[in-house]
Amino acid sequence: MAASSEEFGAAWKIIETSFSSSKKLDPAPPVISPLGLQSAVELLINHGIGHIIEEWFLEVMNADLQQRIAPNFLAYFSSSVPEDEIGNFMSKVIAELYDNLSAYIPKLGQLDEISMCISLPTPSSMDGLNTVLYNEKKSRQPAMERAQSIFKAMLLPQYQIPESLYANVQKFYSLTMRVHHTTDEADIKANNEDRDDECIRCTGCCCDTDNCQCQTLLHIFHQVNQQLYELGLLERFAGEAVTSVIHEKIQDYVQHTCKGNFESSYLSCLETWLETKVVGWLSEVYRGSEGCERYNDPNTATSVEAYKSRLYYLLYETYTVVRIDQLFNIIIEYPESEPAIVDLRCCLEKTNLRSQLVTSLKTALETRLLHPGVNTADILTAYISGIRALRVLDPTGVILELVCEPVRKYLRTRDDTVRCIVSSLTDDSSSDLADELVRGEPLLLDDSCQGEEDMANWETWYPDPVDADPTKTSKSRRSSDIISMLVNIYGSKELFVNEYRTLLADRILSQFNYDTEKEIRYLELLKLRFGEAQLHYCEVMLKDVADSKRINSLIHNGELQGHQSMDIPVNAMILSAQFWPTFREDKLELPAGIKSSLDAYTKNFETLKGNRTLCWKPHLGLVSLEIELKDRKVHISCSPVHATIIMHFQEKSKWTVDELSVIMHVPVSVLRHKMAFWQSQGLLKEESADTFILIEEGKGGRHDIHMIDIEEETESAMASSHDQREEELQVFWSYIVGMLTNLETLPLEKIHTMLKVFAMQGPSTGECSIQELKHFLDRKVKEQHLIYAGGVYRLPKPGS
Amino acid sequence: MASQNRDPAMPDVRAKPATTISNLNSKESHSVTKRLQQELMALMMCGDKGISAFPDGDNLFKWVGTIHGAQSTVYEGLTYKLSLEFPCAYPYQAPVVKFQTPCFHPNVDQSGNICLDILKEKWAASYDVRSILLSIQSLLGEPNNESPLNVQAADMWIDQTAYRKILHEKYETEVKSRN
Repeated sequence: MAASSEEFGAAWKIIETSFSSSKKLDPAPPVISPLGLQSAVELLINHGIGHIIEEWFLEVMNADLQQRIAPNFLAYFSSSVPEDEIGNFMSKVIAELYDNLSAYIPKLGQLDEISMCISLPTPSSMDGLNTVLYNEKKSRQPAMERAQSIFKAMLLPQYQIPESLYANVQKFYSLTMRVHHTTDEADIKANNEDRDDECIRCTGCCCDTDNCQCQTLLHIFHQVNQQLYELGLLERFAGEAVTSVIHEKIQDYVQHTCKGNFESSYLSCLETWLETKVVGWLSEVYRGSEGCERYNDPNTATSVEAYKSRLYYLLYETYTVVRIDQLFNIIIEYPESEPAIVDLRCCLEKTNLRSQLVTSLKTALETRLLHPGVNTADILTAYISGIRALRVLDPTGVILELVCEPVRKYLRTRDDTVRCIVSSLTDDSSSDLADELVRGEPLLLDDSCQGEEDMANWETWYPDPVDADPTKTSKSRRSSDIISMLVNIYGSKELFVNEYRTLLADRILSQFNYDTEKEIRYLELLKLRFGEAQLHYCEVMLKDVADSKRINSLIHNGELQGHQSMDIPVNAMILSAQFWPTFREDKLELPAGIKSSLDAYTKNFETLKGNRTLCWKPHLGLVSLEIELKDRKVHISCSPVHATIIMHFQEKSKWTVDELSVIMHVPVSVLRHKMAFWQSQGLLKEESADTFILIEEGKGGRHDIHMIDIEEETESAMASSHDQREEELQVFWSYIVGMLTNLETLPLEKIHTMLKVFAMQGPSTGECSIQELKHFLDRKVKEQHLIYAGGVYRLPKPGS
Repeated sequence: MASQNRDPAMPDVRAKPATTISNLNSKESHSVTKRLQQELMALMMCGDKGISAFPDGDNLFKWVGTIHGAQSTVYEGLTYKLSLEFPCAYPYQAPVVKFQTPCFHPNVDQSGNICLDILKEKWAASYDVRSILLSIQSLLGEPNNESPLNVQAADMWIDQTAYRKILHEKYETEVKSRN
C-alpha cells in the first residue's frame, strides 16, 4: 500500500506538533487527537520509516540542550555560592533544570511505545525482516536511557565539569549531611529533655535556633535528589561529592572521637555510627526516604550495599591509621589502654596496614625512646609494657620481634641495663618485674627452644605471618615470659646472675642487719628461673650471713675457752671470699684500740673454728658511734673511714690532712672528701688550709643535730663490673705477653684460641670475644706495648 | 658393660685390671693437665723478669721457654729459647729441657742438652717450670766446670773477658744470622 507525499506531509505535521510542543512551552498547545497521532505514526511505520521519529526527536532535544539548557545550567555554577544560600540555590537550579527536561520525559515514553510497535511482528512482514527487527529491538536501549545519556553528556561532560560546580555540590552535600546528623541528634535531645539553652545556633544549618532552616534544607535535599534521580543525573552529579563528603566525615569523626582516649573500645560504637548515620544518609541520597517510589529499586539497593562494605573498610582503615599514630602512647599506657589494643587487633585483621604499623612504631620508638635523654629504667618500663601490649596485639609475637629488635640492640649498649633489670626484679616498690618473678616460670632462652611444634593441636595450627623471621620457631616467639625476654637481651644468664650477686653483696654489706629472710625468698624465686647451679654462689653468700650471726652470738657469749674480751663490741660479717664478688681494695689503717678488738675477735674465732682465721676488710662495715663533747652527745652510724677520722681527733684536736693520710693510709683526696661529712655535722672545722680542728662546743643552733643524713654517697663496696673486666683483661695480657715472649709472633685467632684453652678456665674469668680481644690488642698497639705487622702481633724488642 | 655407667672415681674390686689402669691413666693425665695449667697461671702472674714459658700451640705437654741472660754475667743481653717436654708422669718425673738456641756454655752440649742435677737425679716433684727456668738462668752465670759437656767453654771460663768476646761472637754468627 503506497501513500502519497501529501499523506506523509500531514502525518509528519501531526507528529512534529505533538512531540515538539514541549519545546515552545506553549501555554495551550493545540490538542491533537491521540487517534490522529496514532494513525500518523502507523503510516510511517507501515512504510518502514518509523525509526526516524525517535532519531529526529532526540536530535531536536540535543540541540535544545546544547543551545539553551546546558549553558544556562552551567552558568549558575560559575561562581562559588555562600553556604547559607546553597540550599535555596541548589533547589532553584535543579528545579529549573528539572522543569526544562521533564517536558521531554512523557514524550520519551511515547517514543518507546512507538518503537515497540515497530518491533511487533506484523503478519505481512517477511520472516527474515522480522528477525532483524527483533534483534534490533533486543539490543537497543529504551529511549529514556538514551535521553539520559544525552543529558549526562551535555550537562555534565566528564573531565569538563567546572571546579566551581563540583565545589558547590560538595558544599551542598556536606551541609545537608550535617543537617541530617543534627536533626537526628536533635530528636534524641528532645527526648532527653536536656536541651542546652545556651546553644542559640543550630549546629546543623548554623542559623539561630528560633529560625532553624534544617527542615527546609532537608526538604530541599530530598527534592533535589528526587529530581536528579528522575533525570538519571544523580550519580554523575552527586556521586563524587557524596563520596568525598563521606570520607571526610568518617575521618573527622574517627579522629574526633578517639583522640587521646585509649581506655575504651570504640569499634562497635563506630560501626553503629557508620550504619545509622552515614549509611542512613547515603541511602537517603540514593534511595530517598522510606515509602519513596525509588526506595525499592533493587539496583540502587545493591549498589548502596556494595558501597557500604567499602565504607566499612574505610572506617577500619581510618581508625587503624589513627591508632597506629598513637601506638607509642597506647603502649606506654598499657594495660589501661588494652581496649585500644584489642580494637587495633580487630582492625588489623580487616585491613592491610600491618607493615605500616611496624614501620611507624619502630620510628616512634627510635625517636621517643632510644636516645640518651631517656633513663634506662624508663626504657625498660616501656619495653616491658611494649612486650605485654604487643602480645595482645599479635599473639604470634612477630610484630613484637620486629619492633623490639632495635630496643634490645639499644639496651645492649647501655651499661646499666643489667643492673636496672636485676634491681627492679628484686624491688618491692616496682611491681611489674617483681610480680613476673613471683609467677616463677623457668627461664626460656632463645637457643633452648626446640623446633618441636605441638602435635596434639595440629588442627588449630596456623602459619606464621608473612613478615615472620623463618629462622626462628614460632614457639620461641610465643613464649610470653617477660623475664626471659629481658634476659635474652644479652642472651646469657651468667651476666644477670653475676649482677645479682653484686647487688646482693651490696645489700648485705650496706645493711648489716643479718636479716636475710627477704633475700632468701628472692633467691628461691630466682632459682626457679635461673636454675640451682647458677645461684649457688648467692646461696653461699646468704649462708655466710646466717653463720656470721651464729658465730657472733657464740663469741659474745663469752663461754669459749680462753675467751678474749674486747674493749669495743665487734660483730663480724664472715664471708667466704671465693664466693663473693671482688671487693674494692681500699686501704685503711684502723686505730689501735679497734685493731686490738678485732684481733681479740680473730683469736676467739680461731678457737671456735680450729684451723681457720679471719682476714679483715677494715674499710667495709658500719660503726655505731657515741661522741661525747663538752656540751652535747652525738649518736651516729657511719662508715669505718669516718669513724677512724673522728677517733683520731680523740687524741689531739688538731690534725692536718697529710698527717691523717699518713696515719690512716688513705689518700689525701679521699680523706678530704670524707672529712666533709664531719664538717657538715658541725664536728670539724677547717681552721686553716688543710688543718682541721674539733669543735668541742657548738655555737648554738647546732645542738639539735643528732640525726645524720645518710645521704652520704652510698658507694658500692664491690668492684664495678668495668673494673673487674679491666682486671680480667690484665690477666689475659699477662698470658699474651707470655705467649709472645716464647712464640715470637702470633695472629689474632691463634691468640684467641690459646687464651681460650689456657686462660679462660676458672669460673671467675669471663669470656672474651674475638672482637673484644682485637679491641684490647689494638689499644695495646696504640700504647706501644705491642707491634702489629703482617697480620701477626709481636712484642717490641726490649730497648728498641 | 655395667662398668661404663659407673663413676670412674669409685674404686671397684670387680673391675678388670685393664679398665682400672686406663681409668687411672685418664685420671692422672687429667691431674697433670691441671698441674700444668696451674703452673702456667702462676708463671704468668708472677711477672719474673728474664724467664718465661708458654705452651707451644694447643699441646699443654710441650712448652717453649725463654731465658734472658742475668744481669752482670757474661750472658747479659743474650736471649735463649728452650723446649720443655713434660712426661705423663710429671711431676714425678722431670721434664726434658733443651736449648733450642745454640748456647756456648760449659754445661750445654752441641745439641742443646743441659747437664743440670735437678733435671736428672735431683729432680723432685716440688720443682716446677719456674724453678727449672730460674735454675737454668743461674746456671748460665755459674757453670759447673767439674763435669763439663763443652770442654772448650769450661776451659775458657776463667778469662771472663775473652769468654765474653767469644760468646758474643758465636751468638752473633749462630743466632742473629739465623734470624
